[in-house]
Amino acid sequence: MDGVEAALLLSLQAIFSGILVGGVYGVLSIGLSLAFGVMRIVNFAHGELVMYGMYAGVIASKSFGIDPLFILPLSFLVMALIGSFQYQIVFRHFVGHATLQQLLAAIGCALVLQMIAQIIFGADTRTAGSMFSGKYVVFGSFFLSMPQIVAFVIAVVATILVEVLLRATTWGKSVRAVADDMETAELVGVNAPYINVGAFALSAGLAGLAGTVLVTYFPTYPSVGFSLMPIIIIATTIGGLGSIGGTFLGGICCGIIQQVTAMLWNSALQDVPLYVLLMLFIAFRPTGFFGLRSE
Amino acid sequence: MEAAVSDNAGRKVASSSLSAELARRRAFICGLIAFLLVASLPLLPVNNYILAATVRALIFISLGQAWNVVAGIGGLLSLGHGVFLGLGCYTTGILFNKYGIPPWFGIWVGVVLSLLVALVMGAMTLRMRGVFFALATVAVSLAMVQISRHFVDLTGGADGLALKFFGNSWWAAQSRTPAPFLYASLIFVTAYYWITRWILNSRFGLEMQAVRDDEVAAAAAGVPVFRTKILGLLVSAAMTALAAGLYIQFYMAIDPEAAFGLSQAIQLQLPALIGGLGTAWGPIIGGAIMIFLSEITNWGGTKVGISGIDILVYGLMLLAVVLYAPKGIVGTVLRNAVKGGAR
Repeated sequence: MDGVEAALLLSLQAIFSGILVGGVYGVLSIGLSLAFGVMRIVNFAHGELVMYGMYAGVIASKSFGIDPLFILPLSFLVMALIGSFQYQIVFRHFVGHATLQQLLAAIGCALVLQMIAQIIFGADTRTAGSMFSGKYVVFGSFFLSMPQIVAFVIAVVATILVEVLLRATTWGKSVRAVADDMETAELVGVNAPYINVGAFALSAGLAGLAGTVLVTYFPTYPSVGFSLMPIIIIATTIGGLGSIGGTFLGGICCGIIQQVTAMLWNSALQDVPLYVLLMLFIAFRPTGFFGLRSE
Repeated sequence: MEAAVSDNAGRKVASSSLSAELARRRAFICGLIAFLLVASLPLLPVNNYILAATVRALIFISLGQAWNVVAGIGGLLSLGHGVFLGLGCYTTGILFNKYGIPPWFGIWVGVVLSLLVALVMGAMTLRMRGVFFALATVAVSLAMVQISRHFVDLTGGADGLALKFFGNSWWAAQSRTPAPFLYASLIFVTAYYWITRWILNSRFGLEMQAVRDDEVAAAAAGVPVFRTKILGLLVSAAMTALAAGLYIQFYMAIDPEAAFGLSQAIQLQLPALIGGLGTAWGPIIGGAIMIFLSEITNWGGTKVGISGIDILVYGLMLLAVVLYAPKGIVGTVLRNAVKGGAR
């Protein structure tokens, strides 16, 4: 009886921390989903944009003594700017189709961004603490880490803001019009190239913001983008490429599955069930829960 | 060269097939000269460093040629060919270290395993178009990284697996000098070149190209789309796994990142991308350029004390090729010189 109860408590604990971690996975992924939904661009360098957001947090806390959480707007803006450069130089040529060339160009970007980071910041693992570091909330018999709770709240707020931006503003409506049908949107007067730059900048800015939130409890290193990319891809596919809310829920699913696997089975193999899930989704439901029609 | 292209296009069919014949003969002679030059390298006064770099180039040309079959001819962006490389390397290595089975036999087990994985992967993902296949291959290779790290007893975990060394030995397919590997890899490159040529001109290759160019039209013309894609993936997986046998015997060690990692997968793609996707000559030219540049940048990098510049160069090469020369060197720069012969 005790064994069953302990296992139950452990799974509940795993589910709670899975939800917290998953919220951040969600906000990591919605940028990728947005870029795909609007421009059919799969940005394999999304993880690298997150990585720069993480280094922004490290620099703020180590060099200037500022809490990473205070520079969130700044890291959003800087990464949005870098993202619009990336769009202008590379992805502008591939709008509309996720072709082999587009994926390869994105991988090229990822490698270049990664090595630039390694040259600037060095190859070692860096951490940054926030004012909540090391604090815990005890709630019944559950322990929840304070930085993760704060990160989760920020993730939820950011996702809601993006949804409001896309649904309630004229700009957001133009973005959704371009996502639905670029040619028809242009016919009714939407400036599609301008909308595309904006949408890509928003996508990159979200990556930067998510990175700066993530670095408050997760260490960074130059190839961290490649480590995060599978989770980002899986969250986006489960939730549905192109759907913001769906992707956020996909992130939470990933978090829960990962944490439950880690606590009840083996933390070294925590991602393997996710890969299996991804294969099943691709085979049987490639549009995810809420996604667009298959490309 | 511009003038020559338009000149060729303007001629009548009979004379253009004649010039294609001439070009093909010229390309064949160039290939023969390159072959003889590389084959005579061990007899010339060159040091082992250059021999080893040549072997590296030849190995990556073979691997690139294998990837070229699925991506260049079939148009399927596999980012997970590291899976087949890794399965080939690990199977050969484990069978040799643990059970004393010589790589001559072990590698065939690796090929069969790769075929099985490719079959499952293909059956699940190839009905979908484009991007989902690419995502699935990434997922499989990253899952393999974690799995191979986990089973430490079998694979040596994150440190990897090193072959037991027996000195010069036919039985263990090992050698103290790179020269035997030079001949072995030259055989691989030549064989894979002819296989690619054969596929390109066969009915199967034409069907693959039809599916690559327009899936719907190919299906309407009676091409079994799904079966063609699966077959292409299987052929490519078998070629990669077989070349993996050469890889592990030459490098003598393998670790999860070198086998299944994304950077390795990209190195498998660059020869075909730089040289020209879907051409038999492309991976040969591209692989030579890739290894030459990476040797130079690594040498320069150690001089200034920065590691990993070769990865930066790979990324820049990838971007440059995709943005400015999507058909690769054979496709754009040398189109005229090796026209016909390049097919």
